[in-house]
Formats: sequence, structure tokens, C-alpha cells
Amino acid sequence: MPIPLQSTGPSMKDYHCATQCSWCDGCGDYGIWTAIKRALVELHIEPTKTLMCFDVGCHGNGSDKLAGYRFHGLHGRVIPFAAGAKLSNMNLPVIAFGGDGASFSEGIGHFVHGIRSNYPITFILHNNANYGLTTGQASSLTWQDQPMNTAPNGMPEHTLNSMDFVFSLEPTFVARGFSGNIPQLTQIFKAAIEHQKHGFAFVDVLQACPTYNHFATHEYLLEKCYDANTEGHDPHCEAAKARALAMDSSKRIATGILYQREDVPNFYDRLKPREGKKTQCVDEVGKVDVGEFMEELV
Amino acid sequence: MPRISLKITGAQGQGVNSVGEICAKGLKHAGYCVFGYREYMSLIKGGHSSYQLDVSDQKIESNETTVDILVAFNHHGLERNINEVKDGGIVIHQTPMWKFSPEIQKTLTKRNIAVVYLPTEDILKKINGKPILGNVLITSVVWTLLGRDIDDLKGLVRAQFGHKGEELVKMNFTCIDEGVAFTKSAMSGDVDVSAELPPPKPQWKNHMLITGSQAMGLGIIHAGCRLYVGYPMTPASPLLSFIADEQNRTGMVIKQAEDEITAAQVMSGAMLMGTRAATGTSGGGFDLMTETLSLNGIIENPSVFVLAQRPGPGTGLPTWTAQGDLLLAIGSSHGEFARCVLSVSDAQDCFDLMPEAFNLAEEFQTPVIVMTDKQTAEALFTQATYDQKKAEIRRGKLVTAPAELKKLKSTDRYDPTVKDGISPRWLPGADAATFCSQGDEHNADGTVDETSANAIAQMEKRMKKMKALERVLPEPELLEVKNEKLKVKNDDLDLLIVSWGSNKGVIMDILSSAPSWARDRRVAYLHYTYLWPMKTAKLEKLMESAKQTILVECNHGGQLGMVIKMSCGIDIKEKILKYDGRPFFYDELLSNLSKLVTRNP
Repeated sequence: MPIPLQSTGPSMKDYHCATQCSWCDGCGDYGIWTAIKRALVELHIEPTKTLMCFDVGCHGNGSDKLAGYRFHGLHGRVIPFAAGAKLSNMNLPVIAFGGDGASFSEGIGHFVHGIRSNYPITFILHNNANYGLTTGQASSLTWQDQPMNTAPNGMPEHTLNSMDFVFSLEPTFVARGFSGNIPQLTQIFKAAIEHQKHGFAFVDVLQACPTYNHFATHEYLLEKCYDANTEGHDPHCEAAKARALAMDSSKRIATGILYQREDVPNFYDRLKPREGKKTQCVDEVGKVDVGEFMEELV
Repeated sequence: MPRISLKITGAQGQGVNSVGEICAKGLKHAGYCVFGYREYMSLIKGGHSSYQLDVSDQKIESNETTVDILVAFNHHGLERNINEVKDGGIVIHQTPMWKFSPEIQKTLTKRNIAVVYLPTEDILKKINGKPILGNVLITSVVWTLLGRDIDDLKGLVRAQFGHKGEELVKMNFTCIDEGVAFTKSAMSGDVDVSAELPPPKPQWKNHMLITGSQAMGLGIIHAGCRLYVGYPMTPASPLLSFIADEQNRTGMVIKQAEDEITAAQVMSGAMLMGTRAATGTSGGGFDLMTETLSLNGIIENPSVFVLAQRPGPGTGLPTWTAQGDLLLAIGSSHGEFARCVLSVSDAQDCFDLMPEAFNLAEEFQTPVIVMTDKQTAEALFTQATYDQKKAEIRRGKLVTAPAELKKLKSTDRYDPTVKDGISPRWLPGADAATFCSQGDEHNADGTVDETSANAIAQMEKRMKKMKALERVLPEPELLEVKNEKLKVKNDDLDLLIVSWGSNKGVIMDILSSAPSWARDRRVAYLHYTYLWPMKTAKLEKLMESAKQTILVECNHGGQLGMVIKMSCGIDIKEKILKYDGRPFFYDELLSNLSKLVTRNP
């Protein structure tokens, strides 16, 4: 693959941070961490010109492993925080990161309304199909019957079909990547960041958890994942077609940009009060005259 | 202080509020101070509701338990509210063939209460009017009973319906004339059915009629808040509705969130990015927000939470009032962190305190909780237009100048060595060294750091802000009434009343009325606006000389008293507490105080 020569903008070095990574050997987070930095660099986004918001989980421990304006919040709550930040300053790309534990259990309501609202943000799901940081409990995406910490007999509940669920919410951008394929993941992240102008970009990143996930391992994912786009899948297809492709992981797992539409306005662009405004909410802090309102109450 | 009161009762959805509002407007225009109070149930149609107006030529911010005029839209009002009519009062109803039990009738006669049947249906049939005109008819009857000029009422009706065409206005006028004719004929009979208002005072004419929620909404808008997010919950919903309704004029981003956690998070994200944002809820919703409150404590993020109280626990009494959440505001959320808690009390500081709340949040980079209650949120105040020069926008140690930004290091953000614990703050997007707003315990640049030395340094940094806050927050305000009847002979206080929030109005109305026990004595009210960190120096000084101190609160435990005791050891033993969902009424608190006040020779 030819690597474009870049003479302006930031380099990988600008995203460098002295804090050493603390993830387990072979953790998928390394690949995602590398790809997001790479994507930002290739998009010429300076570390000062983005806000990266981290949920709580192993991925969240990455909040101090790179440069840039960052936020590390509460378990399950990263989407509304990132949305509030973005709506206040549409000039900055806002990227939210969350795990499958937080996003499909405690914070699932936020996830639903994030997609439904079509917030102009990118959401990157670190999907290792378990709660890693709290030592390997089952998440809603853990395969049913897998013995896990707190569930020696496997979880009685069936596994949530995340892609079926996501597509039911009428998303405007759905992609899937694999932490072991950093070049592809970089391209997906770039598209997902650029999609912010159209709305909520959801990227499901399948990743290994070498310590606790003994079913969907790195080798398993390496074997099953394929790049659907290079095989001719057009993300601007009918939602039903993309949904079927995303849901069927029986033989192979389709990765790449699975679905995208640009004809639905994002949340901010639908706000009538903001129509034609050249300023951002962050530029508008100052005393507002309420004389007109008072007159009406006399 | 001369005062009369008027209560309109009926099923929710029957027009109780619209009659109440038009009467309030008319009386204010005529030159009276009006204070409106709504009671209703947590349902949309059919529940028994009421709208009470207490009226005076002087400032009035309380209601009485009894009324001079009772208007009953249906027979429920006649059954449930008949005992609330004063001796010599008037009841107007529209229930055909209504008969009180002989027992009640006897009492009514004895108490000289006039009961007037208004044949609304017959009158409307006669003039070929739609049922909706019943509201105008009732209003015109009340208007005439109060001895007001009918042209004033017609002027109001024209202002309200003029845009809908002359025909509708004419129909309304016919209806008003019928109401006047009916009342005049009723007044010429044996019964005396005219309520006496003192002469009007023109000063009230250019006042606003405003609810506490509207006042707070205007304060929020005035403060430069650009994003408001909330989840519907009484009594915080009227604030959300008001701000949302005005969004096209203010240009604000308004978000009705999927839950209160979302609301708190969206507000926090917006604040971190650097705008001014707020959220509002009631106790149950606030419970859900508390984890986010704590997060804002550790990431040192300015944040503004409006906590509109209603009685709990659980769903409690959803549409009623309380002051039961003071300890919640002060003590909620895990961990220890700096916070500021303040409370509004009336339409004046609903407006004035909102810019201050944002200022304190930004100056101290920490959560600020603004408390209100259903009584303040939904009461209708006669309020002078606000002085817009007064408010300041203070953003604390926010760095925005490019030259200053260039000098910043990442480790300045949470530098634990700074004075008062307040470190520089700069915003995402700024051309400066970057940092992490870190919810884990962190060192100076937001890197996770679990060492003992760092944990101590950062805890102490953040808690220093509490001391700094304490230094700048005003002491509670000592309010006294200058009244010729209250000839004070000594400097020492005979009686000190201590309270907070919406009780201010009723307490001040009582002091203004110069009750017998206050004459020749020095009586004062100490009003707590800033509740946390708690300031007690002034209270301690006053209590050294005060002969008697009484605590007044709308809760069961005397929560302000508990916070005072916790803060300085003083136990205010004499308490008047109320926890039935109703605010203190004027006559009720007056009587409670009268019982407690000791008159030493």
C-alpha cells in the first residue's frame, strides 16, 4: 500500500505521550490506539483541534497514553458527554470511545439515543465481548454459554445481536473493523471522523482480549474477518442489505464501511435556533439582553 | 397590611388557570400587587385544582389559608373548599339546584357567607355563546365583585383575542356585559357581595407578572447560558418549557434528554468545551445526576444544576412543594469534593442568582447547585423589571489570550501548588499544551496517578477551593421591616427568625404586617441564600444577643438547622416545620409564630 507523503500537519510524534501503555500483551487496544493516531494524522488534525472522550474500561486507560485534548469520564456515559461537547463547538471533531460492556448494558440508553439523535460525533466501540477491566465478566455481547467470571455456567441470557440492534435504530454510518488490521482500521476511522458532518458514525471494532476472551480470539478474528469493501460492497446500499451483511457472521465477518448515508441532517443542523449562525455556543458566552422578554410580561 | 384573597377551583382542564391568570393580569394593571398560587394533582384532566390570588396595594408574597371570594367551577369546590371561605366572604358557583346540608347552611348563614349561583349555561344560551366563554363570564363576575372598571377588563380581552377578529372580541364583550349585569342584580339584593380592595397604587402597573420558573429562565438566558438540557420532571419542567419555548429568539441549543443522567452529561460536556450550560430537575432526577456531579468535582469542571424540590421520598407528592432536599444537595455524590449550594427565594433572586451561579461555577471550576421548590417555581410574582446592569460575567481563571495560552504547560491544568486550589483552565481547541480532563485520580496534567503523595496533593488542591469559596460567599442576609408600628427601643434582637428559600416571602409579609408580638421589639429575619459552604459567623453573633431564635422550614428534620449545627455546633431548638406538601400560609405561620414567641416583660 502506498503511504502518502505528508509535508504539513501533525505527525505521529505529535500524538506521542510519555506515559507507557499498561494493556496486556496482545490486547486489541494497541491496534485501535495506533490506528486512531494514524487517522488523525492523515486527516491533518492537530492534537489541539480535537476532543477525545473515553468511557471507563481497559480502553479508557488509554486516555493518558496519547496527546490531544482528552476527557475520561464515567462508565457508560461517554456518548452524551461527547454530544454536549460537540454541540457547543461544531468546529472540533469529537471522538468518543467506549467498550461493549458499558455501551450495551449500563449506557445502552445513551447509545440508542445517540444514533437516533444523529449527533455529529464518532463513536468507536472497543468490542472485546467482555468486561476486561473488572476481570472478565460476561457482557451482553459475550457468547452465550461461555463460562466467565461470575458466570461459571455461562450467562443464561442470549447474546445481544449488536448489529441487528444498531441497524434497527436507523443509523447514518456503520462500520466494522478488526484491531489486527491497522491500515484498514485507519481508513475506517478517517471516514468515521469525516462523517461527523452528517451525523453519528458508529465503528464496531472487534478486538482480542487475550486474558479473558477465549472464544473470539485474535487468531479467530484474523481467520474470519474480511474486507467487504474490497469485495465490492457499497456502503451506500439499501439499509436492509447492509444489515444482512453485518448480521451474518456464521462463516465470515464483513469488515469495512458497511453502511453510510449523507442525506440525513445531523442533530445540530436540525436545530432551528442555530440556523445561519456563524458563531459556536462557546463563542457566545456573554450577557444577553432580556428586555424584550420582560416587556411582554408587564 | 390590607389584603384580600380569591380562589378559583375546578377540574383540571376546566379553565381554572386561565381565569386566574386574567384576573391576576387585570388586578396588576389596575395597580395591585398580586401573588398567585396553584394547587393541582399529578394528572391532566379532571383532578381537583385551584388557583389562588392574594392581592394587596403593598408588596405581597404569600397566601392565606382562607379566602374572601371562592369561585367553584363545579360542585367539588363547594364540597371541599367551602370551609376555606372567610366570615363575610362570597362563594360563586355554577352548579344548578345545589343545596348544602342543613348543618353547613347554618354555619354559612351564621358566618355571613353569601352563596351566589351563576347560571352560566342559561346566560351563554341566551347570547348564543360557546361553552369556552364561561371563563370570560366568570372573570367578569369576579371583576365586578372586586369593584374594578369593566373597561379595563375589556381592554385585556381585546389584547388577548384581538388578533382573532372583531367578531370574537364582540362576543367576549357581550359576555362581559352579561356578567356585569348579573353581578349588579345580585348585589342589589339582600346579600352584601362586594369585596373591598384598598385604593390601587400605580407603582405596580409597570411591574411584570412572572413565575419563579420564568424568572429563573430569564436569569439563565441573561447569564449567557447557551445550552440547556433537561428531562421533564415537576417542578423543574416549567423551566425547561420556558427556555425551550424561547429558543428561536435566544438561539440556544435546547435538548430534551432521554434521562437525567444524559442531561447532566450533556451539560457537563458543553461546559468542558467552554460554553455556559445548565440542567434542571427535581429530587428523583437529581439522584440520577449525582454520579456526574461527583465526576465534575474531580475533573474540576464548572457545572450548574437546578434542583427544584418537591416532597419525597419516592415519587412522593409530585405537584406539591417541600424543602426536603437540602441535605441531598450538600451531601449527595460519592467522594469528597468542592461544591456550592445556593437557593433562590423569589422572582428577584431567581433572576439575580443565575448569573452568579455560572460565575461561581467558572471561578471555582466546580459544581454549583441552585435550589428552588415548587412554591417558587410555580408561584406568580408581581415583580419590578430587572436591572440588567447588575449582572457580571466572571469566568475565573479561564485563559483565552493567544499569548497566555502559549505559555501554558500541560501540568498547569491541575497544578496542585496553586493558591486557593484554583488552577488555570483552558478549552479544547485552544492553541496550547493539551491535557486530559481525568475522572480517575490524576496528577497535574491529567495522567492517572495512584500514588499516595499525589492522592493527598490533589485532594487537598480541590478541597482548598471550599475554603476559598467560603471566603467569597456572602453571609446570610438580615432582613428587618421598618414600620412605624414597630418602634424598636433596643439594639439587641428580641426575636430572630432563621430560614431559607421560598419561606422568605411569607416571613417578610408577616413582619410587614406588624403583628402584635413584634411591636416595640426588635424582630429580624436571617435569610440563608448561600447554603454550602455554610457560613455561620453572622448567625453566631446574632444569637449571642437574640432573646429568642426560631427556625422555620418546609421539611421534617429541620435540615438547615442540622447543617448549622454540623457547621458550628449551635442547635436552634425552637422550630416550626411543615411537611404536608403545602407552603407556609400567611395566617398559619403567623399563628404558629404567635404561639412560640415569648413576651418577656
